[in-house]
Amino acid sequence: MLAGLIRKELLVLSRDPHALAALFLMPAVFIIVMSFALKNMYAPSLDRLAYGIVSSENTEIATRFMHIWENTHGPALGLDPNWTHALRQGRLDYVLTLEAGMAEAISSPHPPPEAVVRLQAEPGLDQGALRALQAELTNSLSDLRASALQAEWPDLMPAVTLSILHFVAVEQISTDTAKPSAVQQNVPAWLVFGMFFVVTAIASLFVQEQRDGTLARLAGIGVPHRIQVLAKALPYVAVNIAQAALMIAVGVYLMPLLGGEALSLAGIHWPALTLVVGAVSFAAIGFALLLACLVRTHAQANALGPMLNILMAAFGGIMVPTFVMPTAMQTAATYSPMNWGLEGLLTVLLRHGDVSETLPWVGRLCLFGAITLLLAGTLFPRRIKR
Amino acid sequence: MLKIRGLSYRYPGAEAHALDNVSISVTRGRILGLLGPNGAGKSTLADHLAGLIKVQHGTIELDGLSITEARRRDPTRIAVAPQNFAFYPVLTVTENLACFVAANRLRGASARSAIERCLAFTQLEAHADTRAEHLSGGFRRRLNLAIALLSDPELLVLDEPTVGVDPRSRALLLNAVKGLAASGTALIYTSHYMEEVEAIADDVAILHRGRLLRHNTLKNLLSEGGAHLQITLVELPPADLVQRLAGYGRVRAKGLHLTVELFSGISPAAPLAAVDKSGANIRETRFGQYSLDQLFRRLTEYS
Repeated sequence: MLAGLIRKELLVLSRDPHALAALFLMPAVFIIVMSFALKNMYAPSLDRLAYGIVSSENTEIATRFMHIWENTHGPALGLDPNWTHALRQGRLDYVLTLEAGMAEAISSPHPPPEAVVRLQAEPGLDQGALRALQAELTNSLSDLRASALQAEWPDLMPAVTLSILHFVAVEQISTDTAKPSAVQQNVPAWLVFGMFFVVTAIASLFVQEQRDGTLARLAGIGVPHRIQVLAKALPYVAVNIAQAALMIAVGVYLMPLLGGEALSLAGIHWPALTLVVGAVSFAAIGFALLLACLVRTHAQANALGPMLNILMAAFGGIMVPTFVMPTAMQTAATYSPMNWGLEGLLTVLLRHGDVSETLPWVGRLCLFGAITLLLAGTLFPRRIKR
Repeated sequence: MLKIRGLSYRYPGAEAHALDNVSISVTRGRILGLLGPNGAGKSTLADHLAGLIKVQHGTIELDGLSITEARRRDPTRIAVAPQNFAFYPVLTVTENLACFVAANRLRGASARSAIERCLAFTQLEAHADTRAEHLSGGFRRRLNLAIALLSDPELLVLDEPTVGVDPRSRALLLNAVKGLAASGTALIYTSHYMEEVEAIADDVAILHRGRLLRHNTLKNLLSEGGAHLQITLVELPPADLVQRLAGYGRVRAKGLHLTVELFSGISPAAPLAAVDKSGANIRETRFGQYSLDQLFRRLTEYS
């Protein structure tokens, strides 16, 4: 009985191109588009920024500085006289200006009356990137100044390494990648979003069957309510698994083909990934069935489902990552089931967490799924009346 | 086979009863025409039989077992073909039957056999691979019936099975219903088409506002209606004419028209003589037995 009803559910879904597009095409497109669109937001790579140098000096110190900077950041772009306009428009990310007297100021034991190197950035440059450039600039000039002072007064200063760079070590704890890329953020984010989109498919079909009287007809034949609910839920577990496989494949295989970064699966804990995907599916289907039992018309199903999904996504860090949100919004995000799913997947895909590390997220998702499924089961018999 | 006694039902929050002390019986091999205007309680009765609502007052028994117990033992003994097209439009005819045959707990050869039997019975073989949404209204009705027949039910409830169908499908469906009754199936047939019910029903029950107005064999019911005399006058009747005619039957007067439902044993000559004696001039008279349609309207109008 159950197998026949599951087969029916899958057949009906397979003949609904709109639902298939919403479940599979939409999240895949979101992954591709958002990964490219937000590439620099997630990982603003300093060595890829477009920059130029304006030098009023032709000294050895200025030349050495430019050499050091170009070694790290690539060759500087040639600047036209109207480079400030290009900077304002964002065609240049930043410009370094080496003022006249820079070499003298650096070799002097006294601080200069005015800055001798200026960093000017375009209006939209990420604040983190700007601070990183500032720190790097300071370090480079510190090294140059230390060397220059040592050369100027060799008796005064012993021949020791003066660069402070050697005193500091910076390390970001990670696995095989230095930092999360846009792809690593967007694949789990839009996968969770897509998995929750079963809400619309389930609710819409449920309304149709309620109106046609097929639910009542099945009940009249003696199909128990729990079997009817199960027959609606189980096919969508398969759909969610297929979504997960497709979205991960998009990240791993399609993104590099399109010139983006690839999603790395090296070293991830597969049982943990399976568990998180299962928990997201459970929560999404429970929520979908509850909504299906609450709405009464197609218009409600087609409006309420996507609306709630988008709200959960906006709050949950799917559309806008939580790390750019203010503290209050970050707190609010922790109440969104989509955020639990996203954090669970990031725990596996980025931090290479195992099953035990995903349990806080899995637990919340399962609790949410159980509550919504219980409520749906209670409401279901009332909705099958003709 | 089916005995309903004193069945009353009131929906939560409703002031009036949807069914009020209804008693009906249905016998194997016979067709009960269940008539009633919208809101009479026909669907509520069907929902009781389908197990969708529980009995509040009264009893429903199937071969001596309460409906709950009978359905618990075998829910497929009673099948309901609802007025809605209760199947999946995007599935083909065969896929729809396969889904419902699985819901009827049939598998393997018995499932295939049931599907083939129902396709043949409703003459849907040529459309077996057609999606239900592409079928005409008549073929959709046939599919609705075919699904109900998958379990080979002992009692079949057909709710308005010929609404919106072409004459050919209507004839096929009516023949099918008669054939089912001939093979021993008990049928409850609800319809607004009185001529259909008059053509196929053995027994008739008339519901109105939840109450059972009549439950009898079709023959008895029609004879119960008796004869009626319709008189159209040239001018408005004299004031005392209605009173004069009241001795021959129940009189309704509307403008120039008088209708006399004659008491048993009264011939039309006596009331006509009374009209003549009153001085009124007759333009036209009609005399005859009530059809089911007229009887139904008369009953539901007076109640």
